[in-house]
Amino acid sequence: MIKDILELISILAIPAIVIMFVAYAARKKVPVYESFIQGAKGGFDVAVKIIPYLVAMLVGIGIFRASGAMDIFVSLISPLAKLIGMPPEALPMAFLRPLSGSGSLGLMSEIMKKYGPDSFTGILVSTMYGSSETTFYVIAVYFGAIGVTKTRHAVAAGLIADAVGMLGALFICKILFG
Amino acid sequence: MLNYVWLGLVIIGILTAVGTDIYDAATNKYRNGDQIEVQYNGPANGKGIVSISKDYFEHFYGTKIESPDTFHLTALRDSDRLSITINDQSPSIWKTIAKAAGNENLLQASVTGQTNQNLFLLLPTTSLVKTRAVIDSVISYSSTAVTIAIGLIGVMAFWLGIMKLAEDSGLVQIIARTLKPVMTILFPEIPPDHPAIGAMIMNIAANMLGLNNAATPLGLKAMDELNKLNKHKGTASNAMIVFLAINTAGLTIIPATAIAVRAALGSREPTIILMTSFFGAGLATIAGVLSAKLLQRLKAYQLKEEEDTAK
Repeated sequence: MIKDILELISILAIPAIVIMFVAYAARKKVPVYESFIQGAKGGFDVAVKIIPYLVAMLVGIGIFRASGAMDIFVSLISPLAKLIGMPPEALPMAFLRPLSGSGSLGLMSEIMKKYGPDSFTGILVSTMYGSSETTFYVIAVYFGAIGVTKTRHAVAAGLIADAVGMLGALFICKILFG
Repeated sequence: MLNYVWLGLVIIGILTAVGTDIYDAATNKYRNGDQIEVQYNGPANGKGIVSISKDYFEHFYGTKIESPDTFHLTALRDSDRLSITINDQSPSIWKTIAKAAGNENLLQASVTGQTNQNLFLLLPTTSLVKTRAVIDSVISYSSTAVTIAIGLIGVMAFWLGIMKLAEDSGLVQIIARTLKPVMTILFPEIPPDHPAIGAMIMNIAANMLGLNNAATPLGLKAMDELNKLNKHKGTASNAMIVFLAINTAGLTIIPATAIAVRAALGSREPTIILMTSFFGAGLATIAGVLSAKLLQRLKAYQLKEEEDTAK
């Protein structure tokens, strides 16, 4: 029920925004077609500008994942995770989530296939997936679009947010389903 | 910091790959040149079944596998060639060998001997598995990056056009004013009715509704506006980092992807994670904003001009 309502909102949102924006602009006597074109011209430039940033980021993460370094890292940290009650099979999710969107999506499906979507581990990994964004992708794309290479504390703040999100997911799942 | 993260990913990745390959070669992980004995039921030319006992397999490769006591795989024999079909249940070491030899679904072995029902097999020589995987990932991720960027052109153009309408009509300023009290706390450096504020509100709203296609273009528009106020081009401003922290926390009312995957896998309650992931992402958002605000005070992260005024 809640899901249906939310789905309806998310489907109607875009047409509603578009009609509202176009109609309001027309009422304010903005030449809508010309103005739209003026803005849309920038689309190509932005997308092309992102490419070098995205190549650097995805290749770096790709090398790290393909080499198996990730698995070694996860197995090293696994005893620590057990201390806070994190199931070892869910741990890779916590580290993959900020690095790779498609990778963590694949991992989430794999884990849920193995343990079942309604098992504790299944609920936990899907909560973890929903509790965060692909931090490194967002950083590459958003800073890439405006040519920022000196990111100061952006990575640190993003990773702190991820860590808290993952721990928060574990905490709430433990309380409700653990 | 990104310099070190990137350097770390690349260097650790390559060293791990080469190191693993050297270790695997030294311990002969893939038993190159050793014959493995399997049971084979089938004609000398045609389809048959290969059966291997778990104990023997584990002893042969010196590694544990997840499988029943005896596992069976279909195979196609052509006198001294045996093509074994590899599926999800096959031992991972055989998957690796098959993949390294060029076809991840078919393991090509040569038959070197035969006794009654048993065959002696020589599997393809396998080496430098991880190094090859690293090279492959470099090539495939480079083109993935371009695919993603090119795919953005259309939606990007559309939303930039819509945002231009909102700017020319003054709607962005109106949107910006709606959340003025919150936005002035989050972004004290940005004038409250600046188009950057309007674009950021729209990006956050799109993220909350799970409208990923709209969220990225709106977010990039917001970054562009924030950059107009940035005195140090090429360096991230405080406002940008707070905005990014909100975005990387990924607060959403509808985690559509996760729900869809759960439903597809036959969950009884796919939406059970609505509340839990909102809680997790909510905490992440608070932590992200707070840490962005706190870290910007650290000397190492301060901008030149701020240091001057601090003195």
